[in-house]
Parts: sequence; structure tokens; C-alpha cells
Amino acid sequence: MSGDVAIIGMGETPYSRARADKGEVVMSAEQYTAWAVSLALEEAGLTKGDMDGQGLAVIGSEWPHSEIWSAEVAQNLGFRPKLLLRGDFGGENAVELVIQAAAAIRSGLVDYVVAVGGDSPMTPFGAQTSRSWRYDIDYMKPFGLMGFVTLAGLMMNRHMSAYGTKVEHFGKIAVTQREHARLNPNAYVKAPLTIEDYMKSRVLSDPLRLLDSVMFVNGGLAVVMAGRGKASGAPKQPVYITGYGMVHNYAEGDPAMPDVTTTGVKVAARDALQMAGLGSGDLDFLQLYDDFTGAVLMQIEDIGFCAKGEGGRFVERTDMSYRGEVPVNTGGGLLSNGQPGMAAGFVHLVEAVRQLRGEAVNRQVNGARAGLVSGLGGLAYGNNLANSGALILGVV
Amino acid sequence: MSEKPLPEITPLSKPFWDAAARHELLVQRCGKCGRFIWYPRGSCPYCGSRDLEWAKPRDTGKVYAATVARAVVGNSPAWEKELPYAVAMVDMDDGFRIYGRVVGAKPEDVRPGMRVRLEFEDIGNGVAVPVFRPA
Repeated sequence: MSGDVAIIGMGETPYSRARADKGEVVMSAEQYTAWAVSLALEEAGLTKGDMDGQGLAVIGSEWPHSEIWSAEVAQNLGFRPKLLLRGDFGGENAVELVIQAAAAIRSGLVDYVVAVGGDSPMTPFGAQTSRSWRYDIDYMKPFGLMGFVTLAGLMMNRHMSAYGTKVEHFGKIAVTQREHARLNPNAYVKAPLTIEDYMKSRVLSDPLRLLDSVMFVNGGLAVVMAGRGKASGAPKQPVYITGYGMVHNYAEGDPAMPDVTTTGVKVAARDALQMAGLGSGDLDFLQLYDDFTGAVLMQIEDIGFCAKGEGGRFVERTDMSYRGEVPVNTGGGLLSNGQPGMAAGFVHLVEAVRQLRGEAVNRQVNGARAGLVSGLGGLAYGNNLANSGALILGVV
Repeated sequence: MSEKPLPEITPLSKPFWDAAARHELLVQRCGKCGRFIWYPRGSCPYCGSRDLEWAKPRDTGKVYAATVARAVVGNSPAWEKELPYAVAMVDMDDGFRIYGRVVGAKPEDVRPGMRVRLEFEDIGNGVAVPVFRPA
């Protein structure tokens, strides 16, 4: 395939914790969705009317979402799409929807797809409609588990005990990403962060600290995708999707008792790189799904930058800043950007587009030509994350 | 006063919960491939068979990963008074993995490799959940 579909427009709204008492913007998911779509269409030089008979890909959101949500979004926007895609992949939403949209465009079904994530987890305005997993409701919460926080703690504990990884290794990821966030006008969290601050931060579930984990923000993000024919005339430099891979319910080793330190990104990134005809060494940056620092460390191993278990030592000796050998999460990632609910994966996607267009200003990776965006979503029982995906993006 | 969250018992899971209330461990086992299956399913996730029976596995296993819960996040405030407590991912000797709190040890002392035995703890409304104790 290599590069017959491109991202030709993107939109990212400012983020908010919806603290009206601090003068923050308070908006609903519908408003964020509309705002992001409008920004992305404008960049692409397109109007709402151009989307008639095209594709609309919508994430499920923390709030609100009805059972039949994508059609509600289409009505809200006044779109008359031929194709509606709906993502229920959690942190993997953006990557998965972009892959599904690319496949639809390649098949000739549509010429354009707008993929949008708008979410307002900080302002639920009424009962949250989404439910957790049956196994969480029945076999985790009554057993005393704290969902994501417990599972992240368990994965990091396993990595430390199996391979000698240290908390400082996780800390370096948080600190590097904060340095990036401080250079990103869109990032929500910009307070300086040192490794000492990290070490002092509150432990939620050993070894997971507050600064290892994300916090929710409200926000909206969108991209416009088109086939090569339409993309070549776009006002902005097209960023091509040159490879992709995904896997669901991946288990390393025995599926009953898998190795939780290996994620499905191992398979997704391998397939994506193969499709793009690249090796991991050809990547100019990584935008890695980072609901917690441990996920970043595991993915660095899974993508092949070092052997499984060497991630801690790799992180220690490697400059992961935008100037470094392996730039990681150059916009600050979710850890410092904040997690806009189920739209989170779009944060990594828009940063990759920005880097490849050369628009990342004071955090620009020099001469960035190819980068990887990963997505991880859904807490699996007895494993790590259920949905894994990877995109290779590039400019020609 | 807040209470611990209770499971939503379904026809699928009722045999497990009925046995748990008697402090007995009953887990599905596949009639075709013979593997124990946790949590309850409609078919065997290993071979696809719907020939499932309820069987009694050994109650022993080994901690695969451990953490200490120090804050209540996304769960009932009823857990607050029990903090800090250890939670482990346990690989049972009969080949299935299950989560649970570890009691009877200092939370910080629970580490991967520790041998544990599963027992039950009543959490109210006639419901009991598995917990582990160093074996």
C-alpha cells in the first residue's frame, strides 16, 4: 500500500479541566467535536458540503454517548456520510479508526474520511452512560482492584521484578515528556518537573505514582484523510500513512497466563514497519500511547529499540527528547498533555502530523521524515491492554 | 455508609458465586481440552468448545505480580479504611490467572514468586470473594 492515503487536515482544540472557578472553558463533548471537525476541514480546504457521501469516523466517548452514537454525531454536525465508523477501542481509538478509514478509502468506497474524537470527561452533565467490562464489575471491583491504577501498578511491578527496572527509569519518561509539554502551547500541564519531584510524588499503587499516570481533560481532535489523488491538491503538505498494523486480545506466551510486560504493539509495529518497508532505526520519532509511563517503556522494547527487559537501561542511557537519538512523545504525550477521554490517541496522531509537516516549532525533530504512532486501549483481564495498533506516517 | 461493590450475578456466573458463598472454589473447566477457565465464559477461550463444566481446582498458586493499593480510585470509598493493602495477580497451580487481595502479610512483603493459598472473604449481602494468604 505504502502511502496511498494521507492526512490532509487536523484540528486540536485547547484542553480544559473545566474549572470555571479558575476561568477555564466549560464545554460539552458535542461542542468539542464540532470545534475539532471545523478546524480540520478548514486546514484541508474543505467544507461540510464536501463531506456528503463521504466517511465519518467517531470515537465512543466518556460522556455522552448513546448506544447509537455515531449517527447522533452525524446529525449534530449536519453531515450526510455514506460511511460511519464508530470506535470503541479506548486508547487505541485514533489509530484503529485511521486504519479502518484508510482501508475504506483504498477500497474506493469513499474519497474522504473525517475522523474525530471529542470528549468531556470533566463535565459529565448527567449520568455517564458507558459501563465497564463485565470482568471489572464482577471480578475486579468487588475484589478490591482500582481498575487502571491497580493494573498499571501490577505491570510495572512485574517489569521491575523480572528485569530489574527501577522507578527512576519510569521517572525519566515522565520528566522528558514534561520538558516537551513545556514547549507545546497546546499541552495542559506545563509546570517544571524534575526527577526529584517525580520521586516525591504520591504513590497510588506501588510502584505507580501520580506522575506516572494521566489525568483527564476535556478536548476535541480531528483529522481529515484522503486518497493520494485528492491529497496531492490539498493546501497543507499531505502526511502519508505508509504502514499500519493492529491486533486485539494479544497474549505473549500462554494465553491463560501471558507475559504482561509485552504488549500487542510488538505485532502491530512489526506489521506496520514491514508494510512501510522500514526498520525501527528509520523512525525519526515515536508517539507512543502513554496512559502510564510503564506502557511507554514496554513499547520501546516491543518496537525493537532494545531487547525485552532492557527498556529501563535503554531509557537511562538514551536521550528521548526531540533533539535526542530516539525522540519520544515530543508534544508531552498524555502524561503532560492530559487525556481527553476516549479521544486520547488523537493527541499522538496530531503531534506526529505536526512533526512531519515541520510545524513543531521549538520542539521540531530535525528533518523528520517518518514516525510511528501507537495506540493501546482497554484493560484486559490478567494481561495488559486489549487493543493495540501502530501507524507509520511519512512525508515524501 | 458506603459499601463494597457487589457483583451482578448472572446465570453464567451463578455457580461460582453460590460456591464462593460456601467458601468453595468452583471454576469452569473445558470438557474438550481440559483447561481451567477463569473468569466464567460462554465457550472455552482456548479451544472454542461449549462443553464446559464446573470443577474444583487446587487452591494454591504463585504471585505473578503484586502492588499495594494506597488510594481509592474508581472504586467504592468503602475500601478506604482497609488501605494500604496488597493486590496480586496470581498464577494458580492448575493453570489459570486470577486477581485478589493478599491478606496475612505486610503489603510490602508480597512479591512475585510468593506461594499463596486462595480463601474466601465475606463482603456482605451473602457474597464472598477470593483473597490470598501466604501458603
